[in-house]
Amino acid sequence: MWGDRVRAVLPGVAVLALLLAGLEWAVQAGLIRRVLLPPPSVIGATLWDLLASGAFVDPLLATLQLVFAGFAIGSLIGVLLGTAMGWWPAAFRLFEPLVELVRPVPKSALVPPLMLFLGIGFTMKVTSVALVVIFPVLLNTLQGVRGVDRVMLDAARTHGWGSAHTLRHLVLPAALPFVLAGMRISLGLALVLAVLAEMLAGEGGLGFLILDMQRSFLIRQMYAWLVILAVLGLVLNGIVAALERRALHWQNRNP
Amino acid sequence: MLLELDAVSKAFPTRGGPPARVMERVSLEVRAGEFMAVLGPSGCGKSTLLQMAAGLLPPTEGVVRVLGRPITAPPPEAVYVFQQYSRSLLPWRSVRDNVAFALEHRIGRRAARAAAEAPLAQVGLAGFGDHYPWQLSGGMQQRVAIARALAAEPALLLMDEPFSAVDALTRLDLHALVLEICARRKLTVLLVTHDVEEAITLADRIAVLTPRPTTVAQVIEVGIDRPRDPVATRELPRFLELRHALLERLMTRHVG
Repeated sequence: MWGDRVRAVLPGVAVLALLLAGLEWAVQAGLIRRVLLPPPSVIGATLWDLLASGAFVDPLLATLQLVFAGFAIGSLIGVLLGTAMGWWPAAFRLFEPLVELVRPVPKSALVPPLMLFLGIGFTMKVTSVALVVIFPVLLNTLQGVRGVDRVMLDAARTHGWGSAHTLRHLVLPAALPFVLAGMRISLGLALVLAVLAEMLAGEGGLGFLILDMQRSFLIRQMYAWLVILAVLGLVLNGIVAALERRALHWQNRNP
Repeated sequence: MLLELDAVSKAFPTRGGPPARVMERVSLEVRAGEFMAVLGPSGCGKSTLLQMAAGLLPPTEGVVRVLGRPITAPPPEAVYVFQQYSRSLLPWRSVRDNVAFALEHRIGRRAARAAAEAPLAQVGLAGFGDHYPWQLSGGMQQRVAIARALAAEPALLLMDEPFSAVDALTRLDLHALVLEICARRKLTVLLVTHDVEEAITLADRIAVLTPRPTTVAQVIEVGIDRPRDPVATRELPRFLELRHALLERLMTRHVG
């Protein structure tokens, strides 16, 4: 069982190791300028120092807090609005033009105007992240709520289920796979916007540090922070995927 | 009279054209305690008829009455059993919770779960409460749907070709189950089917429908004593006689 898993990931890991070794060699041999890309071993040592000194904790927590807060707020709004629009035609007619107008705007472009209104603090950054999270969640929820099987809804009606009970115990669970798919897309975007907002606001967090290190020509440190950010993205994605598997165990029809 | 369809017509809007009239002044009376089958060729609007009887679909003209009361929404006396069991059961719920579906909004989830055991045992699924629908065969899933309907203790069971999606042997098993349930409980059933043998095996009376626009061609008394056995009944002279007459009627109408 474990042996199988190891065998399955081994080729991918080998490619990564080979790539790192190749980079190391290329830099050491002078094919790539050290100023632009220090050898991976040096970056690794810098990363180790960062981790050992505990200096990574505060910036990581700052970014994590931002992503979680924005993700939670955006997801909540997306689910509520998407459910309302999917369930009540009146709500759909009310909000659809607004949604269609704001949805195609790259949310990164909204960060500068948001800074005018909200300053460069946490509020502005959370708002930016929440804004980008809302739409994938909203559209997926809407689609999921509208796609609930007619037969299932009729089953609820013939058994005398009321509207609230149907919404809570039939429509929302039926739409859950869509909602979670939307949230998975949104989480990746949340990280993007968090890093961007941190870069523009310049107050702290992983995004700020990466830009700050680059501007200060602390290239090793810049790459080390980049690795921390990459691992953060990987972990967040893993958490959502695990939650998704757990919540949707019933979808696994081929045990 | 438990259920009455009084000159019920149904027309569906079409793109650009005049509305398509699928049902023309259908009148039907179902007495308390009887098993009535509605028999018609495929595509004659049998399901439409049953959905109107269930209050799930409003008739274009005419009135549906349950216990003399005109209905515009699903009445509490009736429960509908769907043809597509795989779509009417909730895939994220265990078998027990799918049966609790019938009661939870009235008595709460916990009490409904407890009340689900008896109907599950009645359809032969005791011990399957913790399974999920996708772990069961089609016939077993339809048993879950029947258990769910029974849990609601309806006066009137409306069954929409409930056995058309299972294999022939499973169908016989389910016929035996329905005969047994009807013998045990005071149930009124309106069953829609295109299966002549199923109609004769199960019903007290059979309403034969015409092709579209659908009307009731005639109502036939089956006249076979109960209790019935789904296998032995098929060898009775009366069964063969009815089968012959109904098949001939449906086939000529179908071609003509």
